[in-house]
Amino acid sequence: MEIRDMFSKERISFDLKATNKAQVIDELIDILYKDGKITDREEFKKAVLKREEEFSTGIGMGIAIPHGKSTAVKEASIVFGKSKKGIDFNSMDGEPAHLFFLIAVPEESDDVHLKALSEISRRLMHDEVREKLYKAQSFEDFIEAF
Amino acid sequence: MKIVAVTSCPTGIAHTYMAAEALQMAAKELGHEIKVETQGSVGAENVITEEDLRQADAVIIAADTNVDKSRFTGLPVIEASVSEAIKDPKTLINKALKAKPKADLMQEVSRIKAEEKESRKGLYKHLMTGVSYMIPFVVAGGILIALGFAFGGIYVYENVGSFGEIIFSTGKLAFSLMVPVLAGYIAYSISDRPGLVPGFVGGALADKLGAGFIGALLAGLIAGYTVAFLKKYIKLPKSMQGLMPVLVLPVLSTLVMGIVMVLVLGGPVKSINDAMSAWLNNLQGSSAVFLGVVLGCMMAFDMGGPINKAAYAFGTATIAAGQPTHIMAAVMAAGMVPPLGLALATVIAKNKFTAAEIEAGKAAWVLGLSFITEGAIPFAAADPLRVIPSIMAGSAVTGALSMLFGCALAVPHGGIWVLFIPNVVTNLFFYILSIAIGAIVSALVLSILKKPVENSSSL
Repeated sequence: MEIRDMFSKERISFDLKATNKAQVIDELIDILYKDGKITDREEFKKAVLKREEEFSTGIGMGIAIPHGKSTAVKEASIVFGKSKKGIDFNSMDGEPAHLFFLIAVPEESDDVHLKALSEISRRLMHDEVREKLYKAQSFEDFIEAF
Repeated sequence: MKIVAVTSCPTGIAHTYMAAEALQMAAKELGHEIKVETQGSVGAENVITEEDLRQADAVIIAADTNVDKSRFTGLPVIEASVSEAIKDPKTLINKALKAKPKADLMQEVSRIKAEEKESRKGLYKHLMTGVSYMIPFVVAGGILIALGFAFGGIYVYENVGSFGEIIFSTGKLAFSLMVPVLAGYIAYSISDRPGLVPGFVGGALADKLGAGFIGALLAGLIAGYTVAFLKKYIKLPKSMQGLMPVLVLPVLSTLVMGIVMVLVLGGPVKSINDAMSAWLNNLQGSSAVFLGVVLGCMMAFDMGGPINKAAYAFGTATIAAGQPTHIMAAVMAAGMVPPLGLALATVIAKNKFTAAEIEAGKAAWVLGLSFITEGAIPFAAADPLRVIPSIMAGSAVTGALSMLFGCALAVPHGGIWVLFIPNVVTNLFFYILSIAIGAIVSALVLSILKKPVENSSSL
C-alpha cells in the first residue's frame, strides 16, 4: 500500500480553528467522523485520550501524532491538520505543535495499513519532509512531501 | 562502531518507528552503523540476528514496554524511553558507546556451553551424553579412593571396616559404575528410556569381560540402535502396545545385548583394550612427551568443542581401570591453560585488550583454575587467528611437561580444587609448575602476536 492511499482530500485541513489540545483533538476527530471512518466519536476519543495520558504524542519539532486503536474505527486512516498559530500540545520540547496527524486504527487491523503508518512515522523524522509539510498549501503539495 | 537497538511503544503504531528512524538518522550522522529492531503492532521487524549481535559494540533499548534483554548478555546495554530516542538520539548513541559492558564471562561461558551442547548431533551427541553422565561418577569415585588412601595408607583395603577402608570401598564402587553408566546413557541418548536397560547391562558385561571403556562405548551404541530398531519393526495391536516399554523392548534388547557382547564382541574388544592399556603403560620418554604435545594442542584447539572432547574422553578412558594416569594429568593441565594464559595476557599486555576483555580476564582466572576451557572462547572469538595458536602453544608445552615430569592424575575433573587432596595427583609441585609454564608461554606468545587495540574513544 502506498503512503498516499492512507490520506485523502476529505481528511485534510490546512487551517485548524482550535486553540488548545482538547479542541484540536475534537476538531480532528470531527473530520474523521464526517468522512465515515469511525462509527462513534466518543468511543474513539476515549482511546486517543487514554494514549495521551501515557505521555503526550507531541513529539516536538512542531509535530503531534495523537492516535488511538478502537473498535469504533472502521478502517485505518489518518487526518492531517495544520495550525498556523500553533497549539500547546504538552510537547516534549515545550514548543507549540503546528502539524497534526490523527491516526485511527481498528482493533483488528491488517498489517498493510500498519506498515504504511509506520512508514509515515519514519518519514516525519526527516527535516526535509517536515519543511515541505510546513509549506504545503494543497493536497498535492502535501502528498509530494512524503 | 556498530550498534543494535530495539524500539517499542505501547500501541506500536507511531513512536516505535519514529524512534527507530531517529536513531538511524543520528547514527548515520555520527558515522556509526546501526540496526534497529522495531517491536510494534506488526510484530518484530528488522529482527536482530546472531550475526548482528556478534558484530555489535553496544545495545540501545528505547522502549516503554517490556523488552526481553536476555539475548544481549555481555554487551553494554543502555535503556531509555521511546521519547528520549526521538528527542535526543545522538546523546543516547554516545552514551551507549561509552557504556561499560556488564562483563559477565561466567554467564557467557555457560551460554557457550549450552549452545555447544545443543549443536551436538548424531553419534557425537550420543557419546557426549554418555560421557557427561559418567563424569560425576568418576569424580566421586576417584576422589573418595584418594581420600581412602589418605586416611588408611596405601594398604587401606586390607583393614576391612576401618574408616579409610569404608571411604575407599565406596569410591571404588562409584568408580566401577562408570562403565555401565556410560553405556546406559549412550543408549538413552539414542533411544530414550527403553535404551537404559540394555545399555546398563551391556556396559556391565563389558566391564566384566574386561572390554573396558571401548567395550562400553560399543555396548551403548549397540543397545541404543537395537532398541530403536525393535521399536520401528515390532508392531503390536493397539490393546497390547502398553507391553512394549515394560516387557517386549527390555527383554528382547537385553537378550540381544548379552549374545552380542559375550559371543561376538567380548573377546576382540578385550584384546584391543588390553593392547591399549599396555601401550599406555609402556609409554615413556619422547613418545610420551609427543603424546602430551598432541593432547595439549587438541585441548586448546576448539576449547570445549569436539576435538577437545575427544582428547578429554581419551584421558578419562585411561583412568577407567582405576589407576591414576599420566594422560589424564596432561589432559586436565592442558585444558586449564587457555583461560589462565589469556587472563595473564590481559594483565601483562593491557594495551592489547579492550576494557571489556580486561574485565573478563579476571573471571578467566577462576575458569582456568576450575578446568573450564570454554572460558577462553570469548577471547578467541574476537581474534581467533592470534588467540588460538597462542593457547595451543601454551597447552602443548604444559601437556609435554606434565608427561615429562611423570605427573599422574586420578580424577577426570575439578581443576586446582582437587589437586590438594592427597593422592589425587602425583608430583603435585611439578604438575602446578607445568600448568604455570604453559600459561606463561600462552600469555607471552599472545602479547607478541596481538595488535594494540585502537583507541576507540578518539572517534
